[in-house]
Amino acid sequence: MSNEHTVKSYEEELQFLVDSVIKMGSLTESQMVDSMDAIIKVDKDSIDKIIKSDDEINKFRSKIDTQIMTLLVKRAPMAIDLRETISSLKISQDLERIGDLSKSNAKKVKPLPLDLPEELLSNLKRLGELVIKQLNDVLDSYVNKNYDKAKEVWEKDEQVDDLTYIAMESVIDFLSKDKKNLDFSTHLIFATKNLERAGDHITNIAESICYLIKGEYLKGSRPKGKVIQE
Amino acid sequence: MSEVKIKSNNLNVFYGDKQALFDVNLDLNEKEVTALIGPSGCGKSTFIRCINRMNDVIDICKVTGNIEIDGVEINDENLDVVSLRERVGMVFQKPNPFPKSIYDNISYGPKIHGKGETKSELDEIVERSLKKAALWEEVKDRLDEPGTGLSGGQQQRLCIARAISVNPEVILMDEPCSALDPIATAKIEELIDELKKTYTIVIVTHSMAQAVRVSQKTGFFHLGKLIEVGKTEKIFKNPDNKMTQDYITGRFG
Repeated sequence: MSNEHTVKSYEEELQFLVDSVIKMGSLTESQMVDSMDAIIKVDKDSIDKIIKSDDEINKFRSKIDTQIMTLLVKRAPMAIDLRETISSLKISQDLERIGDLSKSNAKKVKPLPLDLPEELLSNLKRLGELVIKQLNDVLDSYVNKNYDKAKEVWEKDEQVDDLTYIAMESVIDFLSKDKKNLDFSTHLIFATKNLERAGDHITNIAESICYLIKGEYLKGSRPKGKVIQE
Repeated sequence: MSEVKIKSNNLNVFYGDKQALFDVNLDLNEKEVTALIGPSGCGKSTFIRCINRMNDVIDICKVTGNIEIDGVEINDENLDVVSLRERVGMVFQKPNPFPKSIYDNISYGPKIHGKGETKSELDEIVERSLKKAALWEEVKDRLDEPGTGLSGGQQQRLCIARAISVNPEVILMDEPCSALDPIATAKIEELIDELKKTYTIVIVTHSMAQAVRVSQKTGFFHLGKLIEVGKTEKIFKNPDNKMTQDYITGRFG
């Protein structure tokens, strides 16, 4: 942001807003790591903690909303400050939705049998790792205001789509072997889909960051991988 | 896209030894509002005063370069300045009605420009101008009362009515709301929106929010130079020039 505002408290308010988004982002990231861990290890003990952490994320969201309202009323931000304010609003919305999806995934651990075959989970695990990496990268690009990195994340969502397809296929294969698996396989399919959706929110965040930095929306359509038709 | 009404080419203004404007090239579109912003002393008022040659009244002031209205050079020595000012009206920061009745404030201009021959013609001009300035309903029953007895906001609308009474093509406004409260300001802004259907308007303002609300085009001046000009939305969301950004976000200094 180069030069400082003539009004110092304005500077501090904007920085405080950005810091809140960063903190919210890091909470969302750890929640996603925990929920992926819980699925892969079928760790039912951690479910409650993950659900609880979602409350924290939601609280952050309301706090950020209030900060934004105050900033708009008090400062009527313009240009880069306006974009900073509006992108905080949008990014915090997407982070909250990602938090909801991680919570939903944690809840899916409950009905899973403890002896899930490893080949069933390996693709889901790869997908989870990729989405976590995407989230980490996008937050990094926000902290460092790195346009190229945000754009890279946006483009890489194609891989999330492809891996979602593969992970879905492996669950469906497993399911087709024995109808008894229907119940928990369905949960795994939903969990896979949730990760894909989280990936979409991450691309939204990447778009917000690009707009924040350059003041224009990313041009053209995002590369898309194989998708399961809904 | 609107047509260009006023065009300045390499406009320079000097007050004695001091140069107030440096090579300003700025096109103002017809029936559009152009806002000029910038810190005090940046030359924005000097610029609009060139459009109706108000600077002529300052002895030490020298203007070089061109300003064209509808393609006609207005700095021409042979140009009739009185008829120029009939075409280019002006409204100032502080409402300045004549110490006369509301009626006379409006009819004065048309009379000296030979526009209202009879009483009924003048009556019609007064009514039309006051209606256009959204003041008619408030003053129609007391047209013979002094204009100076009106509230600040009403006085400013009276001045706008006075400016439009001679049917100008351009209206210059130099911080027209800076002495008004928010409601009176809102009325003037709404009026500007209405007036732009008929007139080309140039407004100098220190309020960024006002520039965004009323104008389609914005020019940013700094130390006598036009730094950036563009669509208002672009200037306030994503200006190209860093100096513009620093000014509108309050980082100047």
